[in-house]
Amino acid sequence: MAMEVVMPQLGETVSEGTISVWHSEIGDEVSTKSPLFDVSSDKVEMEVTAPARGTLLEIRVGAGVTVPVGEVVAVIGRPGEEIETAPDLIPTKLETEENIVEGVISKYAVKGSNRDSNGNPLSPAVRRLVAENSLNPIEIIGTGAGGRLKKKDVLAYLSGTGAVKVAQSTLKSVLQKRGDDTEVIPFSNLRKTAAKHMVRSKATSPHVLQAFEADFSRIERVRETVSRSWKEREGFSLTYLPFVARAVCVAIRDFPRVNAEIQGESLIVHRRVNLCIAVDLHFEGLVAPAVKNADRLSMPELARAIRDVSDRARRNTLTPDDFTEGTYTISNSGVFGTMITAPIINQPQVAILSTDGVTKKPVVVENEDGDSIAIRPVGVLAQSFDHRAIDGAYSAAFLHRVREVIETTNWMTIIS
Amino acid sequence: MAELTYREAVADAIAQEMRRDEDVVFLGEDIGAAGGVFKATVGLLNEFGPVRVRDTPISEQAILGAAMGSAMTGLRPIAEIMFSDFLAVCWDIVANEIAKARYMTGGQMSLPLVVRTANGGGSRFGAQHSQAVENWAMMVPGLKVVAPSTPADVKGLLAAAIRDPDPVMFFEQKSLYPTKGEVPDGELVDQLGTARVLRDGHDVTIVALAAMVPRALDAAKTLSDEYGIEATVVDVRSLVPLDTRTILSEVSKTGRLVTVEENPRLCGWGAEIASIVADEIFWDLDGPVIRITTPHIPLPAADALEDATMPSSERIVREIAEKMD
Repeated sequence: MAMEVVMPQLGETVSEGTISVWHSEIGDEVSTKSPLFDVSSDKVEMEVTAPARGTLLEIRVGAGVTVPVGEVVAVIGRPGEEIETAPDLIPTKLETEENIVEGVISKYAVKGSNRDSNGNPLSPAVRRLVAENSLNPIEIIGTGAGGRLKKKDVLAYLSGTGAVKVAQSTLKSVLQKRGDDTEVIPFSNLRKTAAKHMVRSKATSPHVLQAFEADFSRIERVRETVSRSWKEREGFSLTYLPFVARAVCVAIRDFPRVNAEIQGESLIVHRRVNLCIAVDLHFEGLVAPAVKNADRLSMPELARAIRDVSDRARRNTLTPDDFTEGTYTISNSGVFGTMITAPIINQPQVAILSTDGVTKKPVVVENEDGDSIAIRPVGVLAQSFDHRAIDGAYSAAFLHRVREVIETTNWMTIIS
Repeated sequence: MAELTYREAVADAIAQEMRRDEDVVFLGEDIGAAGGVFKATVGLLNEFGPVRVRDTPISEQAILGAAMGSAMTGLRPIAEIMFSDFLAVCWDIVANEIAKARYMTGGQMSLPLVVRTANGGGSRFGAQHSQAVENWAMMVPGLKVVAPSTPADVKGLLAAAIRDPDPVMFFEQKSLYPTKGEVPDGELVDQLGTARVLRDGHDVTIVALAAMVPRALDAAKTLSDEYGIEATVVDVRSLVPLDTRTILSEVSKTGRLVTVEENPRLCGWGAEIASIVADEIFWDLDGPVIRITTPHIPLPAADALEDATMPSSERIVREIAEKMD
């Protein structure tokens, strides 16, 4: 029976050796008394004899090649003996670590990714099925936790029934359990992400809510005056939102610490104002793309930029870049006429403003002739802030400034 | 078919074998006149007399020493150690002598003896009378280890253990003594080293032993009814020899292994099964192995605490439902 000759252990701390020269050729008689090959490592240089008497049948590792200790370098046996070639899981050349890793898993090496489309590692059974059937795991939909690809998902994919049906059957079993009184709506990925973010934000930041009423008369007059020409020129209606956004940008100049994030035990105050605008996606989710450098835009530019990100959010054409570097967020629930909304901070920011419905209210107006009551469009500005970052007085001063800008700016001059 | 309790099945098996073979003798503390502290050996003294059914002094070492000596000289003794915890005081005789005699004499000697013992918790007996120590015995080369879960298995496997030419540690789960089950009439001899598939599912394979078997079956029903998870349940029955063929094939089918062990977690028998599964059928695994065990603590005596530590069917359901995806 053929016998394998392996790279010997050349010392306790040595893990590989280089064959420097072969003393025999294939077909030569070898014995335990004569040197078979010389081996060198960074520590030693030595002669190695054959482990038994016989004929050298095969040399697997040539002179000059380095292999790990224990690697088969030659086979000896009787002349003409058939060599059983065991399935060789370890490649003959192991020069880099990547090669070693590949060698170990080569039996079920996966073409393409070693992870599923959600980034979960593949289970051994999935890895085997994928390899045996030359599949790309990215293309198969997983139904396990976090979208983990399970063996049955691959089997379903192979049988053509596909992941969609599997998912439905899972849903059906849930429905059966709950009865017909309920409808089960599985979370979309967007919903899952939002859910995680909301919980994380509430757990991270101690939220404090402050609210001011603001008189929107000046803005209202401008809107009435320019709405038609604006719409003709720009192609969309002029809403309250860009005015509020502008007021926020102006107020941030005076109170920059609301435009910040917390890192460790420091407040990192941003010089740029990248204003995130929360956009509802037809009740199916919420995104908050950022309008970059919002404070440097003119009023019409700011209105267009807000319109642009909202449009692209609803058409699902935002890019990852739209979501990065936000520094402050405005959430607008006003269209439904809400009175006040306590928003959740968009991490890692430290404050968020909610603008609610602007409605006509009786307001006490002070002038030289004394107090009188007038009917004015009034809206509520509600800010949640992270009490780790700033205190109530600072937040109030900021909000007060926002209101002041809204109520006193000569909007007509900057809108046109 | 007769319905017997787990404890009646013990006496039934011993009587069956003592009637068949007069070399079979039985010794232990309070096993004769008292019928056993768990009443598992009632009637044997009456039928077979004080020579073959012997009440011994309170010395576990003496009981096993006598059992070993009588086995060496031609008898087939059954020795009872009242609580399996007490095996600790006679571990030299068990681990160093009984387990090794065949090997160290080059096969000239065999010890056809059975050590029966009441094992496990759930009876509020405290840390020194409640341990599940089947894994102690499993660790010693030379011992066979059996732990039945039903009256029929008690009878069939105990008979097989008595007939086996080598030492068998026979763990009876004391909380199972009052449980009832159908036992076939007439002579019953089972086969050591065979697991049994008690339930067939396609999602997960639960491997359990002794008192954990009924709990695993309970859990499997709940998992099916409430979670739509279909579990296979395998009763290991015998840790040595271990029926790896059945276990591996059942785990291969589902791709998921759950062990339910009463022994404390570290080096529990489930760890060995997990290791064998990883060695033999790694590429069939579709998720991590789940081990459900008693935590690595001395078992508390207080009922609420004892219930909280041993794997319950609720805990089995919870852990599987949580970790299955």
